[in-house]
Amino acid sequence: MKVLVRAFAGFRDVMGESTSYDLPDKSDLSTLLSLIASRSEESRALLFDNKGQLRGHIILMVNRKRVSRTVIGTLLLSEGDEVALYPPVAGG
Amino acid sequence: MIAITREDFDPGTYIQAAIDSKVGGIVSFTGVVRDDGITAIELEAYEEAALEELHAIKDEAMSRFAITSVDILHRIGRLAIGDHIVLIVVGASHRRSAFEACEYIINRIKETVPIWKKEYTNKGMRWVPSEHP
Repeated sequence: MKVLVRAFAGFRDVMGESTSYDLPDKSDLSTLLSLIASRSEESRALLFDNKGQLRGHIILMVNRKRVSRTVIGTLLLSEGDEVALYPPVAGG
Repeated sequence: MIAITREDFDPGTYIQAAIDSKVGGIVSFTGVVRDDGITAIELEAYEEAALEELHAIKDEAMSRFAITSVDILHRIGRLAIGDHIVLIVVGASHRRSAFEACEYIINRIKETVPIWKKEYTNKGMRWVPSEHP
């Protein structure tokens, strides 16, 4: 299945604005994050600390709804899902 | 009106439009680009999500405070010193609710709406850190 990943602000600088990833059906969000990290050392360092934990400040959205990091290992993705990754916001 | 826009806006137009027979006061907040030794800023948004979030913040404010209207306009794109960034206009029967709702809305925008600022200086550029890291 294909999932679209969008990155913003400093994350876009590293990961690109919009990238399509091919995943096995019923993959969860953690599988996608690992796949993104495998694409470049810069992406891995951006997403994960040196213990392999997802960095605390990263905000995740699936189909424009925020998702808690507690569900990363259980939230199953579907064909056509849009996953967004971004740093803390700074508008206003 | 709730909008993310690349165009400038006239705060006065929206303040005037908030007048209604039940309105006794209108509070507005206009954020502008401050000269912190910068040459320009660039605002980037996850536009679809940011727009949904602004609507949600308006709904929250309308249910929490005794107010009659909320307008929020947020610009994106490259802006110069003195340019408008954000406009919030709140109409209410009484001033206290309008002041409180306006402050609530700008605080919520800074917490949750996916918009980021990049500052340009003579030495280069940097992403402005969040007030809510």
